[in-house]
Amino acid sequence: MANKTIQFEIVTPERVVLRQEILQATVPTASGEITILPDHIPLVSILEPGVIEVKRADNVMEIMAVSGGFIEVMCGKIVILADTAERAEELDEARIKEAKRKAEELKKTAKNKDDVEFTDIAVRLEKELARLHAVNRWRKLKSDGLNKNK
Amino acid sequence: MAKTKEISRRIKSVSSTKKITRAMEMVSAAKMRKTIEAVLKTRTYANLSWETVLRLAELSTKRSEPLHPFLKARKKINKVAIILITANRGLCGGYNTAVISKAKESIAKHPLPTDFILAGKKGLSVYNQDFTVAAEFEKSEVLTDAREIYPIVKMVLSDYARKKYDKILVAYTDFINPAKQVPRVKQLLPIALTSDQYLGIVGHESGLATSREFLAEKAKKHLCLDGYNFEYTFEPSPKEVLNKLVPRLLEVQLYQAFLEANASEQSARMSAMHQATDAASDMVSELTLFYNKARQASITGEIAEISAGANALTE
Repeated sequence: MANKTIQFEIVTPERVVLRQEILQATVPTASGEITILPDHIPLVSILEPGVIEVKRADNVMEIMAVSGGFIEVMCGKIVILADTAERAEELDEARIKEAKRKAEELKKTAKNKDDVEFTDIAVRLEKELARLHAVNRWRKLKSDGLNKNK
Repeated sequence: MAKTKEISRRIKSVSSTKKITRAMEMVSAAKMRKTIEAVLKTRTYANLSWETVLRLAELSTKRSEPLHPFLKARKKINKVAIILITANRGLCGGYNTAVISKAKESIAKHPLPTDFILAGKKGLSVYNQDFTVAAEFEKSEVLTDAREIYPIVKMVLSDYARKKYDKILVAYTDFINPAKQVPRVKQLLPIALTSDQYLGIVGHESGLATSREFLAEKAKKHLCLDGYNFEYTFEPSPKEVLNKLVPRLLEVQLYQAFLEANASEQSARMSAMHQATDAASDMVSELTLFYNKARQASITGEIAEISAGANALTE
């Protein structure tokens, strides 16, 4: 079956994370998670911290963690301008857990700090949570794949 | 004898200058590598986001109601602000003068009351030329954190919203490659397309800037303009999305302009120092030649004297 594909591009200020032809993408927007298939209507939306799932043209799933940004859908093209984004296989779980713990601790002690600092910490926590989520999702996917092969 | 002494003193001074310029060349070469890396990393992001903003602007002009106040050009322009990005120090060839004169050129083209917003110490020279300066911001030599420019963005956006200024431009030096930098003035606000203007997608390879045609072509390719009118859907709502999107993308644009300027500055300084080192080498070899000639002349003179004296004795 010749599946229709859509060009997908996710960039952060540091680098181009992924640029590929894909079958579908699931992204966390401000008004809930949406899945974009080829021939989607043009759309602009805000991204929330969370997990992006992309099905590549060769049916392989890509999992990515983002910490907010924007998505623009055009005909035959998706552009994601993310603040930060990592692919799940690049993430190190132990380090994320450590960072998350630190952020949680900071949040607890941050009660008497000012608003700006508090939001800063909250954002960091959300980012780490999104990363952790991405790693877990990826691991599950991988083990599922292995089971199927058996 | 006195002549050779003077020449040898000059040789000494020139070669110590050469040592300094060579050291400066090396330092700026190292900084250049860092800044170029930084500028290339963010370029894709900056270009893509600028394209998005311009598409939205284009869309906005077709509507009766503008999508966002920043996307609409004001009918009457009373005052303009130029953000001038210069170096903190000199000794970088024509880098500072080029960007300052480019900014002045653009003022001369549209003679309106203009305020300068300075980033970098060398911009202060506009004081001497009867321009008003609204603010001076400190600029670190190598920009590493986007947060450093937030105060500028904040000030500019609020001044624009309060209608203190009706147009915000940024004058910076676009980095093309280590041997070529181009000073450029780009309109930051309002984000609107005017037909005679280069849109200046930051540092777009050797094409320098992207024209309206390029954008139209791209729009055709990706927006399926053939046949029916297209319209973006905004989620949750246009207002909410654009209130977040537009300021953020402006921040990115300004940040990119700073990075371009930094990379250009270091490249300019490196090549200026390289030239200075070369010139010093040339000068040293020329002076050495003079020195040897003078020494030879004095020896010849002495011999002539001695032999004249000897001749006088034998006679």
